[in-house]
Amino acid sequence: MKFTLKKTSLVLFFLLTHLLFSQENSVGSTSKQKFTLSGIVSDKNTKETLIGASVFIPEIKSSALTNEYGFYSITIPKGSYTIQISYVGYTTVSERLELDKIKKMDFSLAQEGQQLEEVIVTNEKKTSNIKKPEMSVNKLSGTAIKKIPVVLGEADVLKALLTLPGVTNAGEGQSGFNVRGGGADQNLILLDEATIFNSSHVFGFFSVFNPDVIKDLKLYKGGIPARFGGRASSVLDIYQKDGNKNAFGVSGGIGLVSSRLLLEGPIVKDKSSFLLAGRSSYAHLFLKLADNPNLAYFYDLNTKINYKLNQNNNLFLSGYFGRDVFSINDSFVNTYGNTTLNLRWNHLFSDQLFSNLSLIYSDYYYGLDLDLIGFLWNSGIKNYNIKYDFKNYISDKTKLNYGVSGIYYDFNPGIIEPSNATSGITYRALDKKFAFEPSVYIDADQKISENLSVSYGLRYSLFYRLGNSTVNIYANNQPVVFNIESQIYEKATPIDTKQYGNNKSIANYTNLEPRFATSYQLNENQSIKASYNRMTQYLQLISNTASPTPLDVWTPSDQYIKPQILDQVAVGYFKNFSNDAYSLEIESFYKKTKNRIDYIDGADLIANEAIEQIVLNGKMRAYGLEVLLRKNTGKLSGWIAYTLSRSEQQTPGRNATETGINNGNWYRSGYDKLHNLSITSTYEHSKKWNFGANFVLQTGQPITLPNGQYEYGLNGLNGLNGPNEPNEQPITIPSYGLRNGNSLPAYHHLDVSATYVPKSNKKRTWRGEWVFSIYNLYGRKNAASISFRQNETSGSNEAVRLSIFGIVPGISYNFKM
Amino acid sequence: MKRYKILLILFLTLFASSCEEVIDVNLETAAPRLVVYASIEKQKGSTGSEQKIRLSTTTGYFDTVIPTVSGADVRIINSDKVFNFTETSNPGEYKCADFDPNIGEVYVLTIVLNGETYTATETLKSVSPFTKIEHKNDGGFSAKEIEIKAYFNDPAVDDNYYMVKFKSGVSAIPFYDIFDDSFTQGNENFGLYINENLKPGNTVDITLFGISKRYFEYMRKLTAIAGSASGGPFATAPATVRGNIVNTTNPNNFAFGYFNLSETDYRKYVIE
Repeated sequence: MKFTLKKTSLVLFFLLTHLLFSQENSVGSTSKQKFTLSGIVSDKNTKETLIGASVFIPEIKSSALTNEYGFYSITIPKGSYTIQISYVGYTTVSERLELDKIKKMDFSLAQEGQQLEEVIVTNEKKTSNIKKPEMSVNKLSGTAIKKIPVVLGEADVLKALLTLPGVTNAGEGQSGFNVRGGGADQNLILLDEATIFNSSHVFGFFSVFNPDVIKDLKLYKGGIPARFGGRASSVLDIYQKDGNKNAFGVSGGIGLVSSRLLLEGPIVKDKSSFLLAGRSSYAHLFLKLADNPNLAYFYDLNTKINYKLNQNNNLFLSGYFGRDVFSINDSFVNTYGNTTLNLRWNHLFSDQLFSNLSLIYSDYYYGLDLDLIGFLWNSGIKNYNIKYDFKNYISDKTKLNYGVSGIYYDFNPGIIEPSNATSGITYRALDKKFAFEPSVYIDADQKISENLSVSYGLRYSLFYRLGNSTVNIYANNQPVVFNIESQIYEKATPIDTKQYGNNKSIANYTNLEPRFATSYQLNENQSIKASYNRMTQYLQLISNTASPTPLDVWTPSDQYIKPQILDQVAVGYFKNFSNDAYSLEIESFYKKTKNRIDYIDGADLIANEAIEQIVLNGKMRAYGLEVLLRKNTGKLSGWIAYTLSRSEQQTPGRNATETGINNGNWYRSGYDKLHNLSITSTYEHSKKWNFGANFVLQTGQPITLPNGQYEYGLNGLNGLNGPNEPNEQPITIPSYGLRNGNSLPAYHHLDVSATYVPKSNKKRTWRGEWVFSIYNLYGRKNAASISFRQNETSGSNEAVRLSIFGIVPGISYNFKM
Repeated sequence: MKRYKILLILFLTLFASSCEEVIDVNLETAAPRLVVYASIEKQKGSTGSEQKIRLSTTTGYFDTVIPTVSGADVRIINSDKVFNFTETSNPGEYKCADFDPNIGEVYVLTIVLNGETYTATETLKSVSPFTKIEHKNDGGFSAKEIEIKAYFNDPAVDDNYYMVKFKSGVSAIPFYDIFDDSFTQGNENFGLYINENLKPGNTVDITLFGISKRYFEYMRKLTAIAGSASGGPFATAPATVRGNIVNTTNPNNFAFGYFNLSETDYRKYVIE
C-alpha cells in the first residue's frame, strides 16, 4: 500500500508539473489567439456575490463556475459568442459578446422569486452536476434550509444537513453530526474559512450557524479537494453573506425559542458594505425546575465588513462570537462557545490568477463553576492560521489550485481552581500543549475530452507537537498495560518524564495526501464518477460518548497518539431526467481509518493529564450506498434520501496475550445506522401559502444491553457496628455482553410546516411571513436512551426509556425591510 | 474524579422535563459466573476479628432471586497465619471470628469451588477519621434538597483514595461516593450525599473507607454502571467490570467481585 501510494503521488506530481510548464506553451503554440474573459457574478438587488454560478458559452460548450468570492475566469479563442450566466433560483442572463481582447464583465442576476408561475426559457441545460468530477458533495442555500420544518420552528443548518444522504446524528437534541459513518470530531467545519470546534448550541438543539447569515453551504463527504485538510471524514464549508451593497436592510425573526436580527447595508456605495447579525434565545426555557433562579440560554453574533480597494483588490473582515450559558441556582454555571475572527485579502494578479490571503484566529472556550464542591474549571483550544490560496485559470479546460497554510495550536487541557475561600480544591493547571501544522497543496481540474473530466491533487501536511511541555516516558513505550491476570487494560505508571523547552519538537509527522476525482459523461443527462481521497487528522477529540458533549477536550497527536489516516473510495451514477425536473444521484463508498483511538473500559477522560494512558489504537471502517432523488421543479419539490451503511471499529490486542476491546472483534461504532431514510418536501400552494413536510426513519443508535446481573455487598447485618446499624443492602450490578451489540428501537418522526405570507403593501417595503410548524406530528416517543437501574424505593431492577420530544408545535414570524 | 459524573447526570436532567418511562425489554442471559464480595473492614476502635465474605452467582437481569454459592472452601492468609471462613446458616455467607487485620499488611484470599481455585491479593489501607459531619437544607442543584457533607483531613503525603458509603432509610440502595485526593492533596476533604427524599429526623449511616488505587478504579467503574444509563448520547459504552479475583485453574471462567481490605470510620448521623 505504501509503495502504491508513493507511486500515485509521483504520478500526480509529474502531471502537475507538466501542467504548470505547459501553460506557457499552450498560449504560445495555439494557432488561434486566446483571450481571457473574467468578472464577478452577483445578485441584482443586493450585489451579494454568487458562489458556484455557471458561466456557459454554448458555441464551444465551454463553462466556468464562480469561486467562493463570486469570481470567474475563462480563457477561450478569439471570436463572437453568446454568454449565459445561470444560478439556481435566479433568472438566467444571456448576452452577446465579441471577444477580441482581454475582457472584464460583471453580471447581476435577478431572483426568480415572484415569477414562479412563469416559464423561463433557457437554451442551456443546468447540467453542471453531470459534467463536473465533483462528487459526494451536497449544497444547500439559506432558502432551502429555512423551508425544512424543525423542532420548535427554528430553521437550522445542522438539521437540514441531516436530511441528506450519508449524514446522521446521535438522535434528538444531540450535538454534532456524522458523515458516512465517521465521528463528529472528523468533520472540518469552516465558517468563512475559520475553523469552528463545536457546532452546537444547547447540547445540540440548535446549531451555531444563524441561517439568516448564510450565503452558501457545501458539504464534502468524499472526493475532498486538496485545499482542505486536517479532518478525516468531511468538510462543511460555510460562507457568510457580505451584506447588501445597494441599500440598507433589516431582517429578522421572532420565534418561540429565539429571536434574530440582521442589519446590512452599504458603507461606501459599491465599494464597501457591512453585515451585523445577532441571535439570542430566551432564558428559562429549558429548565422547568420550579421557581429556582435557573438560566439556560445562548446567543451569537456574526459580523462581516468588506471593502473593495479597487478592481483587483478586496478586503473582508469577518467574525463570529457565540456562547451558551447554563446556570442552576448559582451552584452550577457552565459557559462555552466559539470565537472566530479573520481578515481576507482577495487579489487578482492577472485575469487568470486569483489569490486569497487569510489571517484567521479561532478558539473554543469551556468554563464550569461547580460551587457545590467549590470547583472552577476552564479549558479550550486556540488556533492561529495563515493561509495563501491561488486559483489559476489556465484555459477553459484547465484550472489549477495551489496554496500554503500554517496553523499554530494552543491547547489548554484544563485549569482547576477553588471557586471560593472555603473550597478544599487546590489550584492546578494541566500542562498546556502546543502544535504547528503547516501544509502545501496543489490540485488541478482538467477537462480531458468532451466527456471526460478529472481533478487530481496532492496535499503535503506536516505536524509538530511542540514544547513547552513535560512528557511521560513509559516502560516498553507502553502507556497502557494489559493485566494478564485479570484480563483488563490499566494505566501504566510513567518511569520517567522528559521536559521539552519552548518550540522544541516532541513528535512530528509528515503525510502525503493524494486526491483524485473523475467524471465521465455518458450523454447530456447521465454521468458516472469515481473518486479517491486520503485525509490526515492530527487533532483528536477526547470523548467516549456517542455524541460529543461541550466539555470534550481537543488534544494534538503526539508520540503516543498517532494521527488518524483515512482512505476513501467512492463511485457514483448521476442522472437528470424529465427535462431536468428530476435528478438522481447514487453513490457507493468504502472508507477505512488507521489510528482511530478507542478508550479502555472505565476510562476517565476529564482533567486527565495523561490521555495516552487510557486509549488504545484501533481502526475504523465504513461502507455504504446512498441514493438521492430530487424533484427540482414544480409546485411540489423536495428530495428523498436513503442510505444503507455500516460503521465499525476494531481495537485488537497489541500482542497475542491481550484481548483488545471487545475481544479484538469488529464492533459497531456509536453512530452506526444501517438504514437512514429521509423525505423532505415543500409544496408551493399559492403566493400566500407554502407547505413543508419531512419524514425521517432510521435504525436506532447502537447500545450495549446487559446479559445478567449480580449483587455486590453483604445482605443483612455485618456485625461491625452493633445492633443499631441497619442491615447491609447490596447494590445490583448489570453485567454486559459485547459492545454495541444491540440497537435502540427504530427512530422516526414526521414534521410539517406551513408558511403564510400576507399580501405585501406595494408602497411599503415591509415583508413578513408566519411559519407554523409541528414537529413529530404523531407523537412518536423516540428513545434517546434506555437505562438499566435499580429502583430507589423498591430496589428492584428496571429498564427506563428516556425520550426527549413528544409533539412540539412551533410558531415564528420572519420579517424583512 | 466522580464529581464529573454530576455533570453528565445534569445534562440528562436538563432533558428530563421530557419523558422517562419504565419499559419492558427482552434480555438474554449469559451462563452464571461466581461473584465474590470480600470486603474486610477494620473499624476504628474495634479489633475487626469478625469478618464476612459472600459468594453468589450472576443471574438474569430481571430475576428477583440471587443464587447463592454453598460448599466453597474460603480462606485468607497473611505472612504467618491462615484465617478460615466457614459457611453460616445464611447460605452463601462465610464467616471468620478470629481475623487479624493489620494496616499495611498484605493478605491473600483463596477460594476453592468445584475443583477450581480463585485467588486475590490486596493490602489493608488506612484512613483518617471523620472530623465533622454537617448538613444543609438548601442543598443540591435545586437548593431544596438535604445535602450532607462528611469531612476528614487528607494526609499531605501519598496519593490517597476514598470511598464513603451512605445508607439511609429513604433509599433501598446505599450510595457510594468514590474519589481521590488529586485536586485536594493535603486539604480537608468530604464525602457528599444529596437525596431529595431525606427529611429532618432521618438517620444516615456513614462509613469512610481507605482504599487502594485498584479498588478505587474498580468501584468507580462498578458504581458507574450500577446506577446510570446504558446507551444514550452521553453514556460511555458500558462494559463488564473485572475485579482482582483470578481463577488460576481456568482463567476464562473468571469471577466477578473484589477482595478488599480497608480501615473504616463509622458515624451515625441524625438530621435535625
